[in-house]
Amino acid sequence: MSLLAARGVVVAYGGVRAVDGVSLDLEPGESLGLIGPNGAGKSSFLGALGGQIRLAEGSIALEGHEVGRLPAFKRARRGITRTFQMTSEFARMTVFENLVTAGHGAEGAALARVVLRRRETRRAERDVADRAWAVLDRFEMTHAADFYGAELSGGQRRLVEIMRCLMREPKVLLLDEPMVGVAPHLVAKLTSDLRSIQDDGIALVIVEHALEVVQDLCGRVIVMALGRPIATGTFDEVVADPEVQAAYVG
Amino acid sequence: MTAWSYYIATLTVYFGVDVLAALSVNLQFGFAGVVNFGFIVFQSVGAYIAAVVVLGPSSGTFQQYVFGARLPFGVALLLATAAGAVLSLAVGLFSLRNIRSDYQAAILLIISLIATQVVQGYVPLFNGSNGITGVPRPFGSLPLSLQGYEWAYAGWVLLFCAVAYALVTWLSRSPWGRALRAMRDQEDAAAALGLNVTALRLQVFVIGGAIAGLSGGLLVEYIGAWSPDAWGYAETFVIFTSIFVGGVGNYRGAVLGVLLVPIVFLELPRFLPQVGYPGLMDSMEWIAIGAIWMLCLYVRPQGILPERRNRARRASGKAAIPAEPAEQMEPA
Repeated sequence: MSLLAARGVVVAYGGVRAVDGVSLDLEPGESLGLIGPNGAGKSSFLGALGGQIRLAEGSIALEGHEVGRLPAFKRARRGITRTFQMTSEFARMTVFENLVTAGHGAEGAALARVVLRRRETRRAERDVADRAWAVLDRFEMTHAADFYGAELSGGQRRLVEIMRCLMREPKVLLLDEPMVGVAPHLVAKLTSDLRSIQDDGIALVIVEHALEVVQDLCGRVIVMALGRPIATGTFDEVVADPEVQAAYVG
Repeated sequence: MTAWSYYIATLTVYFGVDVLAALSVNLQFGFAGVVNFGFIVFQSVGAYIAAVVVLGPSSGTFQQYVFGARLPFGVALLLATAAGAVLSLAVGLFSLRNIRSDYQAAILLIISLIATQVVQGYVPLFNGSNGITGVPRPFGSLPLSLQGYEWAYAGWVLLFCAVAYALVTWLSRSPWGRALRAMRDQEDAAAALGLNVTALRLQVFVIGGAIAGLSGGLLVEYIGAWSPDAWGYAETFVIFTSIFVGGVGNYRGAVLGVLLVPIVFLELPRFLPQVGYPGLMDSMEWIAIGAIWMLCLYVRPQGILPERRNRARRASGKAAIPAEPAEQMEPA
């Protein structure tokens, strides 16, 4: 049984099938790349996996349990979390607060718990803060703990999103173009951070236009064009595929 | 001197009621991003409920209303609070689900306009356009002078303000309050971290609605009457302007905004020579309120007292963070 199994996923916008029958299997600690030209349906597929976009057909199972019809927040509680193409840091909260909010999650932030179980809430605050400091230390972002999201560079924002996801201790992390807006000399650092996350046993699905990042990180790659998967395999295998070359060149 | 004392006590009551309103709107909008353009409806339902339950059964001739029950004023305040919460729940369930926040604001404004028409048009509910009058004042049995009574009531209202201030401040600093701010800043990302944003929005709407209902109850027990003239949708915008002037997402800012806008600014014309035809200056006030709001958005959208940065501290108590951003990565 795969950690994440998607079968025949279809996403439709009106009459247009933006994703048309895409499947995948993902194991813990595996990194899967989703590449393809603009408009291929990669982000829509990622949205279908994360619950941001409604599934028209198909199924998505996490550890054997169907999650394809669950809203995003319920999938997140089960272990699927994500970053977004446009950075999604909580801009008027500090980096530390971004992390702590994720660390508490829905259970820690529940109004009933906050009001009725105050001692437990205080203890959780301490525990989550310790975890947040540990994550900040790990990614060398301690110096930025008090910065607002809006005060960060593109690379820092990406890192905040990723750190925030890690505070949820996810099983699957979906990354939508994580290198967009990242200064070129920091791409290598972010790539190495993602590899270390993969080494923790977290499965990654990465939509990325920077093919060298995909080549570096992803053991397996799915190439999409016009909503359909046109090739699957290692990076070297898919780039050698004539259909893939035709899709990219036009 | 007596007149001044009376005037200031009256202003203090209005200040307190508006502070409650601003705390409610600041919790909903400043922290959770819920644009409650229908705020005045929830304050009004509190006022109407508090009014009719302390009055005896309607005679049907002098004025018509529902629920006349001669309840004590304390119970009436509780019911006013509950009415604000229940109406918020009903409206929230309808208007806050899976709809963009700007559409939610529009729906709430429309609800506010419809509510006025319904109350005006359906006289047996709350006596239509004439409104409810003759609401008995609380603490009537206390041996107080007229002035003493005014100040006692002002203290009573400020007591509720202090409790509400402590409550919203505590809630906003809690993990729940942080979740609200996350939802406000990036709803999709908040949901992708497991937060149920619809439930959060509904919770903050109901808590804000309860405070709004309480504020209405306190006001009607003071002035003894309530009619649709008292709760035009524009009243909501006075509260929003107060928050934008004082500071969105900062409760001290909200209190300061109330002091500056509905108290100082709206009272100031009383002390100025009348210009133009009678009523011109009153009308100009509304234009000025809108202008102040727009000016704030252009010049200082964060308000006089902006939302405070919550600096993180390690368990050792030593701040681990330099005060100024020390750029390690290049700016975006």
